[in-house]
Amino acid sequence: MNLNTYLVKIKSRFGALWEHKIFRFAIIIHGFYFILSMVLTLIFFREQNDFLVYYKVGEVFIHDINDLYNRANYLWPFRYFPISAIFFVPFYLVGFDLGFILFNFMNLLLNILICILLYKIILHIKREDHEREDKRIILYISLFLMSLPNLFNYILGQINLYITLLILLSLFLFLTRESLKWDFLSSFILGISVLIKPITIFMIPFLLILKFEDKQRKFKFDILRSLIRIIGVILPLSLNLFLFLLYPKLWEGFLATNFTGEEPIILNHSFSLTKIIINFCIFYNISYNPLLILLLILFIIGGIGFLMYIFRRSNSHTIVFAYLFGILIMLLVYYDSWTHHLLALTPLLVLLIFYLPRNSEITKNYVKPSFFFFSFFDLGFIGIWFITQNWFPFNFASTVFLLILFYGSSKFCVTGDINDQKS
Amino acid sequence: MKQKTFFFNFILFFLLISSIVSTVTAFEYRIGVREDQELIWKCNVCNKINMDIIFGSDWDDSGIFNNLSQGKRMKWEINSVTINETNININFSIWEWTSENIWGFKDNDSELDYFSNQSDYSQKLNFSQYSSFVPFLFPVPVGEYMGGLSLNEWYDVDNRVLPTLNVEIRKDEILPGFPSKDIQIIAIYNDHGILNSYKLYIKSNVVIVDISLDFLPFYVIPTLIGLTTIISLSIIFYIVKKRKTRNILK
Repeated sequence: MNLNTYLVKIKSRFGALWEHKIFRFAIIIHGFYFILSMVLTLIFFREQNDFLVYYKVGEVFIHDINDLYNRANYLWPFRYFPISAIFFVPFYLVGFDLGFILFNFMNLLLNILICILLYKIILHIKREDHEREDKRIILYISLFLMSLPNLFNYILGQINLYITLLILLSLFLFLTRESLKWDFLSSFILGISVLIKPITIFMIPFLLILKFEDKQRKFKFDILRSLIRIIGVILPLSLNLFLFLLYPKLWEGFLATNFTGEEPIILNHSFSLTKIIINFCIFYNISYNPLLILLLILFIIGGIGFLMYIFRRSNSHTIVFAYLFGILIMLLVYYDSWTHHLLALTPLLVLLIFYLPRNSEITKNYVKPSFFFFSFFDLGFIGIWFITQNWFPFNFASTVFLLILFYGSSKFCVTGDINDQKS
Repeated sequence: MKQKTFFFNFILFFLLISSIVSTVTAFEYRIGVREDQELIWKCNVCNKINMDIIFGSDWDDSGIFNNLSQGKRMKWEINSVTINETNININFSIWEWTSENIWGFKDNDSELDYFSNQSDYSQKLNFSQYSSFVPFLFPVPVGEYMGGLSLNEWYDVDNRVLPTLNVEIRKDEILPGFPSKDIQIIAIYNDHGILNSYKLYIKSNVVIVDISLDFLPFYVIPTLIGLTTIISLSIIFYIVKKRKTRNILK
């Protein structure tokens, strides 16, 4: 197919989508988010955005890589793996303003690709009892485009959409390809996402093909495939080893920034369960060890999630649940869980809505309420946090919805869905 | 064609405007308090034993911590505020830390001085003249003012969420035996540049001094009541709906 035919096809598809009122709304609102973010960041929040940190990271990477984790260089600390810094160098080279504009245009492009991938995955995993026409799929993709975390992501100049795209691409390949080499490639793509931003790191254990077979009363473990997946995901990450070996100061900085530093002592509106507990300790002057709290929550939430996944009933497309558990554990466990991180979660919820039966109790009670809350209401609770933080410094609402979702997913894994059993 | 021209013109205009506006970064700093305004702080925690060990037994004999102990309050009343091109000066009266409900006569008069332009400070700044190691009042916008100061290595300004001044002083860093342990201070300021929360930590995040601004804005109680009501009603509504659905299914 030549480029012209391809463009004609895209144009006609876009024309067909434009017929849908909700899609028109989504495009207009998303366009508004895009322009508003440019105005707000370049004019009002020039000194208060995440892109500024990435921009400086690009600068430090070129001039003095040893100084990459020096807190004094940035507005707030750079926590990602050192290799990821290479990605920000081109944006530094073109200057802040042009860099931000290009960065946000890339984000816009990523959102288009995310929507296309979402659509393709939904068509692949959709149950037969869902509507045949794609009106409902367009509705949910449009809701994703309109969701407020997108606005937040644009304003801050964040990199979550790269992660979302890589998650979906990896998921798409896992779902549509069978052979070992594709498993390797899918895991490798997931590894790149961890490399850029470690928010997907807890998805790694869920790549293991381990399941308890109820009928045979024994564990089934596909060692070869699991090993290939783990090698695939670790390979991109291992590139960091070279940098850590070449510049030992980087390793110290990476550890201090992420695990042993003083950062977690600060009161903030992160909605992770760990941070809520830490906020409680700070507020009531209770002595605490942040790393110990993190490990304890990881042990409990991570352990339950992994067990539920192993003892799952369903055999088809379970990788969707693997990724969902991975991101839920991360958002509940790590110190910093922010609104823009939800962009890595909400597309998975859209997939879940179509993966589960049309009248699923799980969808109705857990998935849909969470999807709508994360997409449109979470931001409001941040506002409430700022008003009440002197007296009630807990941004708890999103935590509750994350827990609800975690419970719903676990329930589905262990018991299935009532409506599924009926059908 | 017209649409394309319009689009490109819009982009060019946008870039032009943003480049013009972005070059204007100078702030005009003000003071977030007015004359005759009263500011009251209360001490929630004061571990005298640890303070004696770290700073010596005379730490509460003078300065901002004079007579400090748990449950006491301190009041400032702003007398005058002077702002010109070079200086910002705040003159105020102090009622030192007391457990009395009636304030009585003031104990002292004092003043705070800042340069209007932070670059006028010729050397790395620290606030060791205050026993708290942080000032109780800053010019506003506080985040920008603190962020623009060239502070020594003890200090780290964090404006990510709330305007915060983090202070970390290692054992023996000021004088031999002073402080006698590593300390960390987290000072959070409100939008008016007033110290909102002050916590002095020792190892393992143990708080030995906790001071907070004694102030309850009008919107806090309605917001908290409203929030609690909405959440409670939502839960009740959810349970009722669930029961109704179950009854219908039966």
